[in-house]
Amino acid sequence: MNNMWTVIRFTFMNKARTKSFLVSTLIFALIITIGINLPFLIQWFTGDKDDSGEAVRIGLVYGQEQTLAEQLQTTWGNLPTTYELVKYEANDEAALKQDIKDGVIEGYLTFETQEGNAFPTVVYSSEDEGINMELQSNLQAALQVAKTRTIVAGLNLTDDQINALNTPVQIDTRSIDANEAGKAGGAAAEDEASEVMNYIVVYALVILFFFTLMGTGNMIASEVTTEKSSRIMEILITSVSPLSQMFGKVIGMFLLGLSQIAVFAVVIAVNVMLPHNIGALQDMNLDVSAIDPMLIVFGLIFYIFGYFLYAVLYAAIGSIVSRTEDLGQAVMPITMLSLVAFYIAIFSLSTPNSMLLKVSSYIPFISPTTILIRIGLGDIPLWEILLSLAILFVAILIFGWLAAKIYRTGVLMYGKRPTFKELRKAMKAYKM
Amino acid sequence: MQRLLLDNVVKIYADKTAVNRISLQVEEGEIYGLLGANGAGKTTTMRMVLGLIYPDDGTILYNGKPYSKELRHIMGYLPEERGLYPKVKVSEQITYLGQLRGMSAKDADKSLKYWLERFEVPEYYDKKIEELSKGNQQKMGFIAAVIHNPQILILDEAFSGLDPVNVELLKSTVKELRDQGTSILFSTHRMEHVEELCKNITILHRSNTVVKGNLKEIKAKYPREEVILGTSGEVQGLESVPGVTAVNRTEDGYSIRISDVSAGQQILNKAISQSVVHRFEVKEPTLNQIFIKAVGESNE
Repeated sequence: MNNMWTVIRFTFMNKARTKSFLVSTLIFALIITIGINLPFLIQWFTGDKDDSGEAVRIGLVYGQEQTLAEQLQTTWGNLPTTYELVKYEANDEAALKQDIKDGVIEGYLTFETQEGNAFPTVVYSSEDEGINMELQSNLQAALQVAKTRTIVAGLNLTDDQINALNTPVQIDTRSIDANEAGKAGGAAAEDEASEVMNYIVVYALVILFFFTLMGTGNMIASEVTTEKSSRIMEILITSVSPLSQMFGKVIGMFLLGLSQIAVFAVVIAVNVMLPHNIGALQDMNLDVSAIDPMLIVFGLIFYIFGYFLYAVLYAAIGSIVSRTEDLGQAVMPITMLSLVAFYIAIFSLSTPNSMLLKVSSYIPFISPTTILIRIGLGDIPLWEILLSLAILFVAILIFGWLAAKIYRTGVLMYGKRPTFKELRKAMKAYKM
Repeated sequence: MQRLLLDNVVKIYADKTAVNRISLQVEEGEIYGLLGANGAGKTTTMRMVLGLIYPDDGTILYNGKPYSKELRHIMGYLPEERGLYPKVKVSEQITYLGQLRGMSAKDADKSLKYWLERFEVPEYYDKKIEELSKGNQQKMGFIAAVIHNPQILILDEAFSGLDPVNVELLKSTVKELRDQGTSILFSTHRMEHVEELCKNITILHRSNTVVKGNLKEIKAKYPREEVILGTSGEVQGLESVPGVTAVNRTEDGYSIRISDVSAGQQILNKAISQSVVHRFEVKEPTLNQIFIKAVGESNE
């Protein structure tokens, strides 16, 4: 036990101090930072120069469309917008251009009266070619209201009726729990929020699982192969039991991966908490408390179990390869397996109750990702989760034992990669 | 009680016997030589002693007891292909290995500093192994093997690839360890090292023990077959002395092969009567000759 701790610490410290690890962690942290701040950066670069909270002024030429312009002004007042409409009586192009130049207004709106009773065309003129997304959608909404009012003006509708007309239709989604009928009463909004949140959590966990596995799994295998090819293995194996050596390595790498994730989590948290980003989360209606706690608990358990199942196999494979060059080919089968687990999960996110998922959530190696979808997004009784967990646990015991055996045998076999037959024969020679 | 005792130990790999009934014993403070050509079974024997592989038959006893995990703390091993992490600092990996052998980090560090000082290379403490020359890497491997002051030290070809200065340095270190009571199992195919260091030896050839025992007794058993004669002038008629099988002229005299030790006396008489003799020796066989002879015989 003491020795295992020494191995864990050595593995961890050794890897954590390598330049490649530090640099890759830093690069990922940077990418995350940029990614989170991207919306803000885009806004910042596309030049709303005066972003100091002061409203941007847009000229509104009343011209011949007095009523329409007035209506637009009133509706505009109710909209949550950073733009302000400034009244101009006449369409005096020279004066308007001068104002744009002087920075009094950003651009101006004119109405072009159409033939007959058709709704006038609205033209936005500014120095830039385009129109800001926010401004455009605000204008569209306000003008739609104005248009409706113009059209229904002759129908003697009350303001309430007109407002009712303008209210957009809302579609709520509701997840129904077949096992507990009747529970889904008035919690529609809550369910929706938690559904989105769970979706994000499941997605994040699946991706996390896959990438930590890919990264640390290969590191474990190549570490073992390096120890073998540099022949330090002979010294190690006479000092520590292969079992504590293997598990020390696996756990050390796990902690390394975990600490990397922790760094990323802190980076994400800090970035999200930045004042200019804090609104974004609220806008998306995301509430962390909406996450199903069961999902987090089981997510972590399956994550750890799944990791160990794969990691011991990576160690075993590393032990039968003599040269690092041969490693890529040797780890292929495990890589494929983890790809299967990853893709089944990703492609099944929208069909959480499919037969494929049901079956695969009992298969070790695949279950760590697929069961998450059923827990988070589908409906799955507790006993099924526990059964899957039990199967996974048994698989860890079996493969852990097998991997330790292979490891014990493999680390002393040099030369060409042994065939399964040779390996089995050699394995018989060792007591654990 | 013997520190280390091998009794009729057998190791069989799939289709061939790697070690066939080897028996030997190493006392406290003794260097035991394990000799043999490549592939004779030296490394396999050592690996069995280390508990890396299990013998198929026979027993190995350490201080009278069979192998147990606790032994890992009292055994040291320098493998033939020295293994250390190429990209890790000397201080880190050797203290790591020391800790694995049951030392505290502090003791391991202290011991490492002592040994670096002893080998006059304290500046390697912060170097990576890959930055060191091959000979110095080997010194580090040696330190890794002895850092925890083992009772049983196993050195597989400890001196191969070293320059004469470093060979002497390691030799004196090994002798020092022996005098402190360490039992050393020492394998080599360089005979001159064995003659200087070992009291008892075993010569292995193709998995079999061909010669075994006390080095002096072994030498005594093999007849003296060479006479070195140094004279100032020429000596006639050496070929006609009974028992002489061959005469070779050398820089300052003759090297004469004899089949009977009594021929030596007659050779000397003949030489004195014809010239001034400044050197005469009936040479005892070198281990090299014994080795070649023993291996040759077992081939026939």
